[in-house]
Amino acid sequence: MLITLIRRELLDNLMTFRFAVAIFIMLLLVVANTAVLLKDYDKRLASYNTAVKKNRQELLETKTYSAGHISLNRAPNPLSIFNIGLDKRLGNEIWISYVYMPTLWDANKHGTDNPFLNLFTSIDLVLIFQSVLSLLALIFAYDSLAGEYERGTLRLVLTHPVGRGYILFAKYIGAMICLLVPLLMSILLSLILLTTSPSISLSTDDFLRIGGIVFTSLVYLSLFYLIGMLISAMTRRTSTALMLAMFVWGFLVPVYPNMILTAVETAPKIGTEASAYNQIKQIWEKHDREQKQFLANDAFPGDDWDFNLIGTGYSFWGGEDDPLTLHYYDYTGSHLETLEEKYELRVPHAQNYHHFLGTNIINTVERAWLIRKPALETIYLQPARIGRMLLKVSPVGLYDGATEAWAGTDLKSIQDFFSAAQRHRRAIVNHFYDKEIFASRKWFTADQGAVDWNTLPQFSFQRSDIGTNAKRALPDLFLLMMINIILFTIILLIFVKSEV
Amino acid sequence: MIWHIAKRELYDNLHSLRFALTTILLLGLMLTNAVVHIKEHPIRTQKYNASVTESLNVLRDRANNLYELAREGPGLLHKKPSALHFCAEGGEPFLSDVVGGAFLWSTSSGLKGFWRLDYPSATPNLTNIRPNITKVDWVFIICYALSLIALLFTFDSISGEREHGTLRLMLANPIPRHTVLIGKFLGALISINIPFTLAVLMNLLVISMSTAVQLDGTAWGRLGIILFIAVLYISLFLALGLLVSARVSQSAVSLVTLLLIWVTFVIFVPSTLASITGGFSSPMSRDEFRKRRDELYSERWKRYDDYLFEVFEPSKIIQFKGKHVTEEAAEQERLSEEHLMQQVRQVKFARATTQISPAAISQHLFESLAGTGFERYLQFLENTKSYAQQFRAFIIDADRGDPESLHIIGIREGMSQKPVSSEAIPKFEDTLSLSKDFNTAAIELLLLGMFFIVLLSGAYLAFVRVEV
Repeated sequence: MLITLIRRELLDNLMTFRFAVAIFIMLLLVVANTAVLLKDYDKRLASYNTAVKKNRQELLETKTYSAGHISLNRAPNPLSIFNIGLDKRLGNEIWISYVYMPTLWDANKHGTDNPFLNLFTSIDLVLIFQSVLSLLALIFAYDSLAGEYERGTLRLVLTHPVGRGYILFAKYIGAMICLLVPLLMSILLSLILLTTSPSISLSTDDFLRIGGIVFTSLVYLSLFYLIGMLISAMTRRTSTALMLAMFVWGFLVPVYPNMILTAVETAPKIGTEASAYNQIKQIWEKHDREQKQFLANDAFPGDDWDFNLIGTGYSFWGGEDDPLTLHYYDYTGSHLETLEEKYELRVPHAQNYHHFLGTNIINTVERAWLIRKPALETIYLQPARIGRMLLKVSPVGLYDGATEAWAGTDLKSIQDFFSAAQRHRRAIVNHFYDKEIFASRKWFTADQGAVDWNTLPQFSFQRSDIGTNAKRALPDLFLLMMINIILFTIILLIFVKSEV
Repeated sequence: MIWHIAKRELYDNLHSLRFALTTILLLGLMLTNAVVHIKEHPIRTQKYNASVTESLNVLRDRANNLYELAREGPGLLHKKPSALHFCAEGGEPFLSDVVGGAFLWSTSSGLKGFWRLDYPSATPNLTNIRPNITKVDWVFIICYALSLIALLFTFDSISGEREHGTLRLMLANPIPRHTVLIGKFLGALISINIPFTLAVLMNLLVISMSTAVQLDGTAWGRLGIILFIAVLYISLFLALGLLVSARVSQSAVSLVTLLLIWVTFVIFVPSTLASITGGFSSPMSRDEFRKRRDELYSERWKRYDDYLFEVFEPSKIIQFKGKHVTEEAAEQERLSEEHLMQQVRQVKFARATTQISPAAISQHLFESLAGTGFERYLQFLENTKSYAQQFRAFIIDADRGDPESLHIIGIREGMSQKPVSSEAIPKFEDTLSLSKDFNTAAIELLLLGMFFIVLLSGAYLAFVRVEV
């Protein structure tokens, strides 16, 4: 009996003109947008590769440690085609140095060919599912009960010895199968397009992640179907149900997320952490004083930090002072390719000084980091978190959050990269300590041989494994499922009690 | 007779659920928009005023010495925020609101570089970790929400009557069909305009009551044009609804078709098409730009060294040095401008292709009338460019006024070192001109009107051929 009912629903929905139109437009959008995103991904990957190569080459050409510029690049995520998240927007090049602790806010962008193109929002597959398929789900649902009431077919069906729950369940399953068709077709089509691109190779884990996205999409669609069904069961008139369903869709999908984030201030609370900025500044000023004191007390009077070592090369000063991101540091150094022999006597003094300076800067960074980390948290992360939480009132927010987590384009996954960068910095600093590099001659002069950069710890970053992705997606997914169950129970209660 | 039908439609609508829901939705959106604007606009103006004062102070400090002023330039030039920001946000967070200058500190030969305009690239929004949203401005409310509502008001106006059989009744009367169609159109237009007008009035009331935002005469004029465009835009979607409703026999099919058309043209075309057509051209990349900049730089210095190698006459050398410095600055400025213009051309082309979507057209119109967005940004750049010319002309003039100067612009020895009165220095003020905006808007307005006429006549043709 259940099978008959499901088959009836399927035929009712599948063999309609509206279904054909919907599938056609849907696939058109999927193809067009996948092509756009794929091209964009290729471009980002190419610029990532050039940046990596360029950085490596520049590093290898540098002969002293102090002038070496180690940059890490974040590779684009191939699953950003499904949900672009923050993958494209946030910085993807970070400078690793002993002078500061790298964070997301200090990152730059390699390869932004035309930043004005950001004016056009990039549309990913999840957005298409989110808007078009949810609409389709509501259109399937609005007359599922109300239509049968009106036509009187419900009475006919109920004369059979079938439980009302059964009928409801059959309707639900039938519609879900119908919704699965365009969903799977789109995913399949985009996967075919993905495999034609030579730059993307998906691993087994990636396929599992895509599976996670498909499952989440299904749960999301089922939620919209159930909303439609609830409206249908409550209103009992197709025209009212349709109107209500459309307005509910309009409110939940385009209006609510934008309205709530416009209305509630979620902009970074810039200026709230002025005291933290001052503290950080003071810590660095203390370092400055200690450095001056050291220079005053060493064998060479005066403040000259390059010890007047003359050869071919240059001295440099670097620093940053940004109250918005609490980014503050300064350092000095010199880089000499050759050194005139008569200054040889000064070299040990310079070595001694650099040893002091390196150690002192690293300690200063550690102390400043203790203040900067929580301050960044309150300025940037908290408002963003509140924004995301508010979004989760709408299923759209839950869906977006879960799929972002599956694809690994959410904030946490991007921060994974920056945590890895911080670990890498620590590894390099430890390496510098172990090998006593600050005190070595190669720190500032290459006259007795250049630095072998290959001895440095190598950076490798793997996107978080599928388990982590799942763990991050699960809360949102769980909530979506819970809402599903609640809605289904409510519909069942209404339907069982209703008089035909 | 038209009025009779329109009145009937109107009464029908006034009692309907959609009318009530539309009113609530529009009031909510417009209220949010107004409240957010009153809250944010003072912050924007304050920031603008603070930075302008800072720039003026910088200018005053530099007025001590004409040479230093000419070398270091007038400081940062700021874009003025528009009071009509609530009408269209225009992707402002992605556009830089300041144009700076650049100059070389000094070179090994003791020569110092001269000030030039340095066009910023758009702000890449790197620290923004918030979820992606579209601000609830009038563009959102009208182009997105209201167009959807317009479709919901008309999708069943013909097919529904046919389903119920009332169409046959009505056409049995001696009324020409076009009268029926126009009547239905007007009825829908009036009934959708009631909640819309209400919401707009409330929005403007809230905004004009607040002391923080002052709207002047031109701003109200602009608002008038924006509202006219909004009505035209709504009419266009009503005509589309009538067209599909007349072609399709079932209301449900009509709605699905309309919704899909809406999703395609309102949500997808403006961004997807722009991304596709944006890919047709590839402007100078950042790396390429840097490379060319370095090439130009080293070429010029090579010429400089060669000249000094050949010529020893001091008066000629000093002339050459001045020429070298000013030409170097001009050359770098040209390159920076070319880089920018290539990017701008790419975006302009992409924007032009999105004009097949009425939503994109009216978004552009709203932006240019509200004085925000991309066109406005280009106007700002234009303003800074003409200011730079004015500034340079002033430097030359002021230098001429000093009898002790050698009138060789570009180097310390050749120029006046005297202080200039800081009042005499031209100040940058960013202006908005309505006539200029309107010229760019005219073609788009025409296009929008044409879309409307085509859709309405399409609806008429479809309705005339309907078999009842």
